[in-house]
Amino acid sequence: MTRILLKNKLDECIAAWRSAGFSVLAPVKRNDLSRFEEVERSADMALDLQITERTIKDHFFPQTEPLLRYTIKKHDLDSQEMLPPDIRRVFFGVRPCDASGLAIDDPLFGWDYKDQYWFKRRDNAVIVTIACTTSDDFCMCTSVKLAPDSTKGSDVMLRPLQNGTGWQVEALSDRGTALLDSVSSILQESSETPAPPASVPVKFDVDKAMEWLADPANFESHFWKEISLRCIGCGSCTFLCPTCHCFDIQDEGDTYTGIRRKNWDSCSFTMFTMHTSGHNPRNTQSTRWRQRIMHKFNYYRGKFGVNSCSGCGRCTRQCPVDMGITETLQAISNLQG
Amino acid sequence: MIYSPFPMRVVSKREEAPGVRTLKLEFVRQEDHEFFKASYKTGMFGLYGIFGEGESTFCVASPETRKEYIECTFRQSGRVTTTLANTDAGDIVTFRGPYGNRFPIEEFEGKNLLFIAGGIALPPTRSVIWSCLDQREKYGNVTIVYGARTVADLVYKHELEEWKQRDDVNLVLTVDPGGETPDWQDHVGFVPSILEKVAPSPENTIAVLCGPPIMIKFTLNALGKLGFSESNVYTTLENRMKCGVGKCGRCNVGSVYICKEGPVFTAAEVSAMPQCDL
Repeated sequence: MTRILLKNKLDECIAAWRSAGFSVLAPVKRNDLSRFEEVERSADMALDLQITERTIKDHFFPQTEPLLRYTIKKHDLDSQEMLPPDIRRVFFGVRPCDASGLAIDDPLFGWDYKDQYWFKRRDNAVIVTIACTTSDDFCMCTSVKLAPDSTKGSDVMLRPLQNGTGWQVEALSDRGTALLDSVSSILQESSETPAPPASVPVKFDVDKAMEWLADPANFESHFWKEISLRCIGCGSCTFLCPTCHCFDIQDEGDTYTGIRRKNWDSCSFTMFTMHTSGHNPRNTQSTRWRQRIMHKFNYYRGKFGVNSCSGCGRCTRQCPVDMGITETLQAISNLQG
Repeated sequence: MIYSPFPMRVVSKREEAPGVRTLKLEFVRQEDHEFFKASYKTGMFGLYGIFGEGESTFCVASPETRKEYIECTFRQSGRVTTTLANTDAGDIVTFRGPYGNRFPIEEFEGKNLLFIAGGIALPPTRSVIWSCLDQREKYGNVTIVYGARTVADLVYKHELEEWKQRDDVNLVLTVDPGGETPDWQDHVGFVPSILEKVAPSPENTIAVLCGPPIMIKFTLNALGKLGFSESNVYTTLENRMKCGVGKCGRCNVGSVYICKEGPVFTAAEVSAMPQCDL
């Protein structure tokens, strides 16, 4: 016997969490764009989507985020931090790849100097993940050694029941346990079996690819130029990536008052590394694409012990010129024969 | 807090060369100054800013032996540096830092020191130079090789004069061919070739090298030819930065974050990095 949540009880659950002070966010499809938004009832949720176009990263590391407010006076200045509001949030219906993405970025925002803007949101969030029982052509979690039912980064795991009436529920953390306890009267004991997780084919041999990437002799390989020739440097792959975390800091305001903001930036952009002198360490699209691949499958691991890719496949799914991590890592695996 | 800068008051401003200025800054708040005094070591950098314009990354040009003020020297080239250049005494600017690692000058004790700098890279070198000259008795011979494009582009001219007068400092000045004036008495030539000509001995000597990427590349070759081992040569890498604290993702070379593990590296460490990404 395990605990289950029936779909027809989901509205009661949402109401209970909301009255306990939580905001509930779930996949929503609106005007052809799918992403996580606050919902009040289950009818607003698009839980049958394979994956939202935007990642839940948007809600932890927003595209633009105020850091501090400043006021300048003659011979004086005042600045106040603008930390995110203390809102407790439930993210319902997260895909395992997106949940993993948060866990992958935690060490980056936490090492040495702790980024409170990230952690205040992380500490106030409960991630309720639904295991995938289906996948599409772009899904590649199994290629990066994760899985359609990976629990990494999740507080609660929901496994869809075979009969389609609801989910088997499992708490994975203290926060998850507390969230389920708050709706224990709505959950039921059941012997219904969960559907098997999706079978996601492995698309490349990541170990082989990592070995090739780790060899300094390949850093200046002609491969990088060929594989990135059609990259237009739009940065979509980085913005839609659940683990890409690069940002810029910009001031918005007039001479006397304004807001300093943290805005998404991308290693795909020419200006990203341009020195004042005009010298640019990564001055071609191929060196910038190499940076992205190396960062994800070599550098990040060297620093934090994990690859910076959770296999969501958005970089390929939404690339305007049909490139992506899958193609590049497949090509690298094949190079070795 | 992580992205909040310290307010700093401009004490004075000095014109070093065309478009190059030094600001002398004092802390507005006592607690910020105490933090700086406890944490600053030569080689570390900061983000200097003006609200409404942004922040720029430069070294702390003043030595760790003089922590009453912060000096920064910069070339006026963009929004932030133009606004900083136009400040007057009494104006408030911002500082975040000190960040990064340092030159381990206590490990240099008892050794000869060779400082090599090019153009606007004298400021970071000057921080180490004064940190050592202020404790002169701890070090052996001190040689400073400094070059700029033209005579006008040499920065800290008053200090160059002071070092020239001292008999415990050997100052070698050079300007690029064509950059000399009719009354120029010193060398004419690029820093790497002048260095080979002066040929300082690598014996018991630490070299500290700062300059633009292209100069560093050729000077490291010259030092190699002179017999300096890569572990006795220190240099700084100065990539574009925004956060300064290992988050924003732009300054890395390989898995090394320049803002955290740098900006100071030995030549051996630099050699181990992907060269075409420098």
